[in-house]
Amino acid sequence: MNAHVEAAEHHHGPPVANQSSRVSATVLGMFLFIASEAMLFGSFFAAYFFVRVVNPSAEPWPPEPFHLPVFVAGVNTAILLTSSFSMHWALQSIKRGNRAGMKAGLVLTFAMGLAFLLTQMIEYAHVGFNTGDHAFASVFFGLTGLHGAHVFVGLTLLGMATVRAFRGHFTPEHHHGVELPGIYWHFVDIMWIVVYATIYLL
Amino acid sequence: MTTDTGHVTHEGPAPARGLRRVTAPGFLRAAWMAPLFFGIGLGLVVFFRRLAGWDPVFDWTIIVAVGALTTAPFGFLGGIGVFDYWLRYVSGAPTRPEDHSSHGARRWQDYFRVNTDHKVIGVQYLVTTFAFFIIGGLLAMFFRAELARPGLQYMDSQTYNGLVSAHAVLMIFLFIIPAFAGLANFVVPLMLGAPDMAFPRLNALSFWLLPIAGIMFISSFLAPGGAFAAGWTGYPSLASGAPLGQTIFNLGVQWAGASSILTALNFLVTIITMRAPGMTFWRMPLLVWANFTTSLLVVIATPFIAGSQFFVLFDRVLHTNFFNPSEGGYVLGYQHIFWFYSHPAVYIMMLPGFGIVSEVIAVFSRKPIFGYRLMALSLMGILVLGFSVWAHHMFVAGMAPWLRVPMMVSTLLIAVPTGIKIFSWLATMWEGRLHFNTPMLFALGFISMFVLGGLSGIYLGSVPIDIHASDTYFIVAHIHYVLFGGSVLTIFAGIYYWFPKMTGRMYNERLGKVHFWLTFVSFNLTFFPMHWLGLRGMPRRVSDYADRFGDLNLVITISSFALGASTVVFFYNIITSWARGPIAVSNPWRSMTLEWQVSSPPPIFNFDEIPQVVGGPYEYGVPGARHAVMSGGAAGALQETHP
Repeated sequence: MNAHVEAAEHHHGPPVANQSSRVSATVLGMFLFIASEAMLFGSFFAAYFFVRVVNPSAEPWPPEPFHLPVFVAGVNTAILLTSSFSMHWALQSIKRGNRAGMKAGLVLTFAMGLAFLLTQMIEYAHVGFNTGDHAFASVFFGLTGLHGAHVFVGLTLLGMATVRAFRGHFTPEHHHGVELPGIYWHFVDIMWIVVYATIYLL
Repeated sequence: MTTDTGHVTHEGPAPARGLRRVTAPGFLRAAWMAPLFFGIGLGLVVFFRRLAGWDPVFDWTIIVAVGALTTAPFGFLGGIGVFDYWLRYVSGAPTRPEDHSSHGARRWQDYFRVNTDHKVIGVQYLVTTFAFFIIGGLLAMFFRAELARPGLQYMDSQTYNGLVSAHAVLMIFLFIIPAFAGLANFVVPLMLGAPDMAFPRLNALSFWLLPIAGIMFISSFLAPGGAFAAGWTGYPSLASGAPLGQTIFNLGVQWAGASSILTALNFLVTIITMRAPGMTFWRMPLLVWANFTTSLLVVIATPFIAGSQFFVLFDRVLHTNFFNPSEGGYVLGYQHIFWFYSHPAVYIMMLPGFGIVSEVIAVFSRKPIFGYRLMALSLMGILVLGFSVWAHHMFVAGMAPWLRVPMMVSTLLIAVPTGIKIFSWLATMWEGRLHFNTPMLFALGFISMFVLGGLSGIYLGSVPIDIHASDTYFIVAHIHYVLFGGSVLTIFAGIYYWFPKMTGRMYNERLGKVHFWLTFVSFNLTFFPMHWLGLRGMPRRVSDYADRFGDLNLVITISSFALGASTVVFFYNIITSWARGPIAVSNPWRSMTLEWQVSSPPPIFNFDEIPQVVGGPYEYGVPGARHAVMSGGAAGALQETHP
């Protein structure tokens, strides 16, 4: 292969596809992924309500002798809610070209997400029952565990965004790498509100 | 096969030499990364069990679930290089988005590595799924041999149940669903006038998840206790206490499901954001519409089967009690969650076929498709109704009786959009100039067989008859009329129809027709008697049966072997034609849709310039009608010949 062909190959990419929608492909993809994830949560909620509502033996709820640390989980909820605001701040900062704000926002969000996850692990260790105890324990660990797994995935995405932010990536024009983890993080946050309300409050 | 664009010959990445081969993406790296990741999984399990103080520390049921069935496949995927670009990207290392070294195929070896070209991925999908089709078919012939006579001849009942379950799982998750995904992968971006899918690297990942699931399902035969044997439905409590093979089923479904969800997401984004200028939704070919609705179904419904299998897995390895009634679990919950996916799944297995048949019937009738908009809307109707019928699988399961009648009504309502499609196809052919090429024969075979399957579906949707026919061979007959007579015949139609486009060569028309007639006749001889057996009370999923069913079962077994033999004709035709069939012209069927307006096989990035769509895709016989204007003016646009 001679140099000329090599040079030609280097520049020969696909023709630019026609953009037939105002939504960007990556954002739409993330929303569809979230729709799918929401349905996965749906199946876990279905299992929860089958055990709690449809099952004739589920009175009272939670069944004796189980009880849940509503207050600690409430504090944890506040931590996760706050992290959504700091995430929003990080995204708004890079949109305005404020790199320091983006970095601070990402680090804060990551720290609060990590705090949430650690608190939940400590809660598991002290909750006083195990996976094998009763269907109540199954649906409790099922829903909170599924959510915990999503927090973990969200933290991984945030970690990647943080690494790239500190390595000088992202500009006011190009910040999908912050925006997409942000969308996912808000989803994880909103999902937690539903999970918390269902399991601890309802 | 070469993909020469006419401008530039694309060479692949230089093959790594020496020690670099061990670290370069490929099967060699996968061969050490998979065991490494198994070790990581094992280490995680041991670490956490020791931390929690659980005994025994080495619990092999959990180590298999985590190490062998979860982390090791990630190691394999990392090894072949699926994640390389993303890992560079997320670590902030320099990436080259313009790097297309893993795009396209120049040699046959390029089909055996991670490739981001949707056309290569489409072929990878189809070859893989047909390999699993052969295996699934052989499994069926094994247990048909057992059923040839009453009594147990060759195997015990557990082995029989394992064969039946694996046959169903391979055919559903590794053949029908991904074969449609493969055809659509090849065709949909071309039909849209797009250079590739929206996320080519995600597309590659989706494909490589699939063989992982398939190898898991097959390897379950080697597990202690044999293959998963609780049926493809895997109901607890049977599944909760089954041997290790069931764990493999639980996790294999996750890999196949993830593959399907990611592909569906990719299709949706591609269809929404990458249509050629002028390609409005109402100018999209019906195959694109069909894959649009199918993908919506997959994205919304598939997480439910993931959930259902997670619960059974947790019940099995973490000793939870989701489905254990004595500890407050609700066993029917599984069936509700499972069928909330698995009923829409039958439309996931049928709607793409509707799309293929719509293409084939319009082209080979030389007429515009009848009721194009209603055809598209009826797909959406099936999508919506499909979510409201799941409990018709549970009429005799002991669910709340008040659910029966609403589910029956919604089930029968689905006959309306389906009927719209059937009548529209018939009206399309009405007074058309019919050409009975092989794809058309399969499309016509599909319509007639699918109507029969639909009719027995109406019987089964009605509560009283369903109560009588539940768990009999009538069900087996129904499912095979809709999934073989329906889906598989449309897959064959699609393969023959797009074969010239995919390979650049023509298949042998005479052998194609032989294949059709052998399949059509032996299919009916195999499955039609099952209606009768079922109504006379022969139960399904049982390895032994009463003597009075013996004669018909012998007929069925012989016919099923003929059905198996008929696919030999197909494979012979495809393989020899692919190797040395006559060179195909770019548009042998004189079709108007965009994939036929480029060379066969298409150039590496499909279109030198994105075409301009100016009209509907099916204006056959309409004077002066155009679907699209290709670069270079009139060239490529179909000149309809008038009689």
